[in-house]
Amino acid sequence: MTGILQIGIYLPETKVSNLDLLEKFETDENFIRDKIGVVSRAQKLPEQKASDLCIKAFENLQAKIAFNLEEIECCAVVTQNPDFNIPHTSAIVHGALGLPENCACFDISLGCSGYVYALSVVIAFMQANDMKKGLLFTSDPYSDIVDVNDKNTALIFGDGATVTLLGADATLIPIGFDFGSKGAGYKNLINEGKLFMNGRAIFNFTSTIVPISVNKLLDKLQLNKEDIDRWYLHQGSKYIVDTISMRLGLERDKVVFDMYEYGNTISSSIPILLSTDLEFFKTGQKIGLSGFGVGLSWASAVLLKK
Amino acid sequence: MGAVNTTQILDIIEKANLVKDTHALDHSKSLREQGMDSLDFSAVLFNVEEVFGIVIPDSDIDGLQAINDIVAYVNTKLSN
Repeated sequence: MTGILQIGIYLPETKVSNLDLLEKFETDENFIRDKIGVVSRAQKLPEQKASDLCIKAFENLQAKIAFNLEEIECCAVVTQNPDFNIPHTSAIVHGALGLPENCACFDISLGCSGYVYALSVVIAFMQANDMKKGLLFTSDPYSDIVDVNDKNTALIFGDGATVTLLGADATLIPIGFDFGSKGAGYKNLINEGKLFMNGRAIFNFTSTIVPISVNKLLDKLQLNKEDIDRWYLHQGSKYIVDTISMRLGLERDKVVFDMYEYGNTISSSIPILLSTDLEFFKTGQKIGLSGFGVGLSWASAVLLKK
Repeated sequence: MGAVNTTQILDIIEKANLVKDTHALDHSKSLREQGMDSLDFSAVLFNVEEVFGIVIPDSDIDGLQAINDIVAYVNTKLSN
């Protein structure tokens, strides 16, 4: 069964402190720490593009696990801030890494729900085509599109990238997914030159839909929330993670939260958290994921450690 | 549903853990002026929408700063 072998990550060295912006945005440290949950945001260099961050994540992956580049048959990049409109960023990554010519490359245009969607899409693609190893990148540098004067967005988003090595002989495998969309709400999180986010609408949407999605998935798998050993929710903000956890009635110590030092990294947020915990999952444990946001779009999954 | 009262709104705020002591709130004063931040205020409106099955457009929010405002608004919505 195809699943996750290892995850490499990249967080830019530059960190921009939100504590330097308290006066500008008329806020206080408690709000920054306890509500937004972002004390500093990772920020790439201006000249870096999505593919550059992918390469850095790949270097981290190579340091964690040995594999042969020639074995890679699939390379997907989840991004909505590609290097260029044309060509796809995964082609650029393919060239930069020297991946083999028989490697299929494609981009997936999704935001915060992107990693969970992509796990399903890429794993299914690999299995349907009998592919043994593939790379799933997430890289969505919002620093290029955020308005630094917009309080709704300037304090939240950080840059980062991840790469998940997927393999046919993995022991961390998905056992179920739930997907959904609410396209009528697309204007609530949109880039028309600079990013605009209707914070209230996004809060309402995520607070409502994520518990529904997670419960629907658990019902489908005939599981209870107590059967899930760890929860990895998209790190939209501390407030939304806390709200969703409360509405789902989750044991708070099972819900991972760790964006204080780098911010909301869009589709990278879940794999960044997973990368830290991968080696500690025990056989039989179940891991809950849920990504949600731009689109409006959501996807939830349960992984099993075999 | 009968007329909505301040107790019901305070109950919503308390159940959502949005304020330490709802008894200390001044019902005629803006919640933001009483120390509630923007995220908690959004959560109040969200929970009010959910409990009473109403939709509060962004354009109506300016008139809903105090608990008394919210009570009057919900009653108007429910009677229409």
